[in-house]
Amino acid sequence: MRPFKYSASTTINSAAQLLSANPNARILAGGTNILDLMKEDVERPDELVDINRLNLSVVKPITEGVNKGGISIGGLGKNAETANHPLIRQNFPLLTQAILAGASAQIRNMATNGGNLNQRTRCPYFYEVSMPCNKREPGTGCGAREGINRMHAIFGWSESCVAVHPSDMCVALAALDAVVKVQGSSGKVRSIPFAEYHRLPGEMPEKDNTLQHGEVVTSIEIPKNNFASKSYYLKVRDRASYAFALVSVAAAIEMNGSGIKQAWLALGGVAHKPWRAFEAERFLAGKAATADNFRQAAEMEMKQAKALEHNGFKIELGTRAIVLALTRAMNGGTA
Amino acid sequence: MSDLNKSIGQAINRIDGLLKVTGAATYATDYVLKNTVHAVIFKSTIAAGKIKDIETGEAEKAPGVLAVITHKNAPKLNEKGGVRGGALLQSQNIEWYGQHIGLVVAETFEQARYATRLIKVSYEKAEPKVDFEKHKKEAIAPKDNHDAIRGDVDTAFGNAEFKIEAVYETPIEHHNPMETHSTIAFWEGDKVTLYNGSQIVNGAQGAAASTLGIPSANVRIVTPFIGGGFGSKGGQWANLVLAAVAAKAVNRPVKLALTRQQMFNSVGLRQRNHQRMRLAATKDGKLTVLAHETTTHCAIDNEFVEPCGDCSKVMYEVPNSLISYRVVPMNIIIPTYTRGPGKSTGSFALESAIDELAYQLRMDPIEFRLKNEPAKDPSNGKQWSSRTTVQCLQEGAKAFGWGKRKIEPRQNQQGEYLIGYGVACGTYPARQQNSSAIVKLTRKGNDVKATIELAASDLGTGTNTIIAQTASDALGLAVNKITVKIGDSSLPPAAGSVGSVGAASFSNAVNDACEKITDELMKKSTKQFFVRPTVANLMVSENLTAFETRADAKAPADATNYSSHSFNANFAEVWVNSLTGMVKVKRFLAVTGAGKILNPKTARSQIIGGNVWGIGMALTEESILDPRWGNFVTRSLADYHVPSNLDIGTIDTIFIDEKDTIPNKLGVKGIGEVGIVGVAAAVANAIFNATGKRVRDLPITPDKLL
Ligand SMILES: Cc1cc2nc3c(=O)[nH]c(=O)nc-3n(C[C@H](O)[C@H](O)[C@H](O)COP(=O)(O)OP(=O)(O)OC[C@H]3O[C@@H](n4cnc5c(N)ncnc54)[C@H](O)[C@@H]3O)c2cc1C
Repeated sequence: MRPFKYSASTTINSAAQLLSANPNARILAGGTNILDLMKEDVERPDELVDINRLNLSVVKPITEGVNKGGISIGGLGKNAETANHPLIRQNFPLLTQAILAGASAQIRNMATNGGNLNQRTRCPYFYEVSMPCNKREPGTGCGAREGINRMHAIFGWSESCVAVHPSDMCVALAALDAVVKVQGSSGKVRSIPFAEYHRLPGEMPEKDNTLQHGEVVTSIEIPKNNFASKSYYLKVRDRASYAFALVSVAAAIEMNGSGIKQAWLALGGVAHKPWRAFEAERFLAGKAATADNFRQAAEMEMKQAKALEHNGFKIELGTRAIVLALTRAMNGGTA
Repeated sequence: MSDLNKSIGQAINRIDGLLKVTGAATYATDYVLKNTVHAVIFKSTIAAGKIKDIETGEAEKAPGVLAVITHKNAPKLNEKGGVRGGALLQSQNIEWYGQHIGLVVAETFEQARYATRLIKVSYEKAEPKVDFEKHKKEAIAPKDNHDAIRGDVDTAFGNAEFKIEAVYETPIEHHNPMETHSTIAFWEGDKVTLYNGSQIVNGAQGAAASTLGIPSANVRIVTPFIGGGFGSKGGQWANLVLAAVAAKAVNRPVKLALTRQQMFNSVGLRQRNHQRMRLAATKDGKLTVLAHETTTHCAIDNEFVEPCGDCSKVMYEVPNSLISYRVVPMNIIIPTYTRGPGKSTGSFALESAIDELAYQLRMDPIEFRLKNEPAKDPSNGKQWSSRTTVQCLQEGAKAFGWGKRKIEPRQNQQGEYLIGYGVACGTYPARQQNSSAIVKLTRKGNDVKATIELAASDLGTGTNTIIAQTASDALGLAVNKITVKIGDSSLPPAAGSVGSVGAASFSNAVNDACEKITDELMKKSTKQFFVRPTVANLMVSENLTAFETRADAKAPADATNYSSHSFNANFAEVWVNSLTGMVKVKRFLAVTGAGKILNPKTARSQIIGGNVWGIGMALTEESILDPRWGNFVTRSLADYHVPSNLDIGTIDTIFIDEKDTIPNKLGVKGIGEVGIVGVAAAVANAIFNATGKRVRDLPITPDKLL
């Protein structure tokens, strides 16, 4: 890898300042993504700001503000610890399932929540520096658009980028209406609704999200909900473990008597960001929780999908996955 | 059955197990030599053409860099010296994407890798041939692989009432051993020592010597442990020789370790196979036609053919048969032997087609196979030294509960899962190859110990252990009195751990040497013996403190008059999620007839390993090329999927109790490859039985089952 400067900070402020002072600096959290990318010469920071000494890993109930009654997870909390924390297991089993569906036990032990949000795409053209990639090197073209794109997007892609966001955790956080708390060098804290955190590629695929350089993800707030007993994370993949999603679905249902009061649906492996299935959600509100309605909702959402050469199967698979995830959510979140 | 006084046949633990689990076993890069520096290779980013220029100036000035070697300054090497695929920095020519085009030597690995980023290469690009779909029609008959024809396939097929014609596709696969190909080279005068994982120790020695243009005696290969090879460490690759070149250039020991990403275009692969099958049978299930035509790609200047038709040659009695190969040279790295070469991929086509035809006849596929059991080897008319297909099928059917299977698919559903059973057979030839071994005995008081020496190799399969067991029995010494020294070309020459010849070749050589030393000691003695004495008795009675001998073992003279094979039958139970298409192999059973099983524990592990690779072949493994540029888009173990623990259910193994001393004195047939043969077909057949869907192109990923 290229030579780089290593700085360790002990406060959010000093981290934010070190970052702000150097446009080529990057945060080092668990390192499971950034270090791989540096070894492959994809990321070329000349400075890493190690934030592992910050005190940002607590899981705690939120006692004030708009998300009062919800739970806050630290930006530096490890994925494994977050997934297995009793407060998360009890209140947001959807998040537990999603995190545990990702990567491997070893990686989840290292990976942090902030790192998970900010991990880069796994598009092979992004990963190999001799290939064209607008995300890695704006203006070089998109290798995947006319190349091998079985793993790529069916929603919201642009001619300049068809990559997908690889995270499972983020799909659940999108469905959970989480809020990302970030802090920059000014000390000011911003709250970003999860649906606005990641972005679609448009003409600027090099920007994965709306975090500004110099900002640190300090925590993620998850509002209280009433669907802990009716949620399910489904991940369809090429092998049973340790593979990125072909399609994944975070589904949750709140009932009102025998009808659906509201449904929450987010899809992974289909877009440059966790894809909130708002169409399907709107359709389901007030309807009976039947297989037929689930199917109609899924088909409605998939109408907006546009397949590439090798990923047409994701439209049918996504439809089925939505139905199955909703069905399992109704059955109490078990397979 | 095992004799309790004997070590052979006992499920003893690996004698090197402790070294492995404590990390003390030394793999190629684990040797610590003073002043070692690091070489990192850099590669072409086009698949066909010429290098116009390589600018190395900036790299040469980078911190820690000691040398940059490219075709411009590399020493002249013998490109026909036995290194597979070339890439020895001898010319500007580029024949595949990711061909080695140079290397940087620096004080640290990171410095060397960084400097490779500073190299600038300009090319004269040619149109690469990398799209097999597009070029397969240009395939030609290979020079060394003639069509094997019996009877009249076309007429018989035309007239047949029950027949199937189908194409089965297997993708490019990579060996992906855990230990990437790595070499440490250091020179002492004009002699070079190479620490390098090598399945064939003497082969590596010969290839390195001949490529470097020095006598074999000046090359020493050291490879006591190998972190897997699966065929990719059978042949020799450029890393072996380039490490020596680099070490010479900087006059220090050089460590050269390929990265995982580099593995995908450095050390061969299993090429894509397009297998056209035509099978026909009479109404009562007698096969009348078996045609197996394979089309595949090879390197630009080497017609390697994976023998996909091998199983089709020997598995069934059939009057009209055709086995043929066609190859098209392409700008893809040279293919090589990979996990059950030809048999694993070929049996997928053959045993799927047999299943398809059995279904067309509405006949149980086991019954169908039994009806077509050949009395002699149909390919050459030789007697079988032994053949266990029938036993494997029958014992397997009983143990697996095959009787519960319905011939019609989609009959067994639980919730969203469709459940199916599949069966498929396999075979692999059994051979003993020339190997020599030395036994050295030492004695202190009454304590007699033996050291066994031969240039064998242990891929991780348990070779060290079975050698110790063999010696233990032949010498009458406990296993813990025996030291095994292998993996060093300075030891007596031996066969390789390839083609399932290792166990038979090594164990018989060791047995011969041990019997010989006993005979020699008896001859020295003036005593008369009524029972054969142990070497310990003899060493004591003859008052010897050290004694040694060497044997040069060969297969029995009449072994080639017979056809000798291991055989198996594989049974799979799959659960297919009818909504998502995800498949789980819930239960798998492999029944194997492989002659004498030297160690049931390591043998079981071998078979399980083969089965898991076979399940990977069926469900997950695939290397994907970009058809425009020829680069692999799957270039790490995150994209190249081998099965994870969660993909594998229970695996049971049964060995048929078999005594066949025709192929070799100890009756060992070898289990290295047979474990994977037939597995993919068993899984695919089970998926058909579960879903009614016949998938003929591997891997069977969820999208293919929607
Ligand atoms: C083989 C493999 C398989 C995987 N499979 C999956 C999978 O199936 N599903 C899945 O979801 N994930 C998967 N992952 C990805 C894994 O979840 C991420 O690598 C991990 O979450 C990243 O976290 P980290 O702390 O290691 O991040 P780092 O590597 O330290 O950082 C990643 C990025 O985030 C930035 N960053 C880190 N922390 C912060 C912060 N607090 N504020 C702002 N920016 C920050 C860094 O600067 C960097 O750009 C896999 C990874 C590997 C290597």
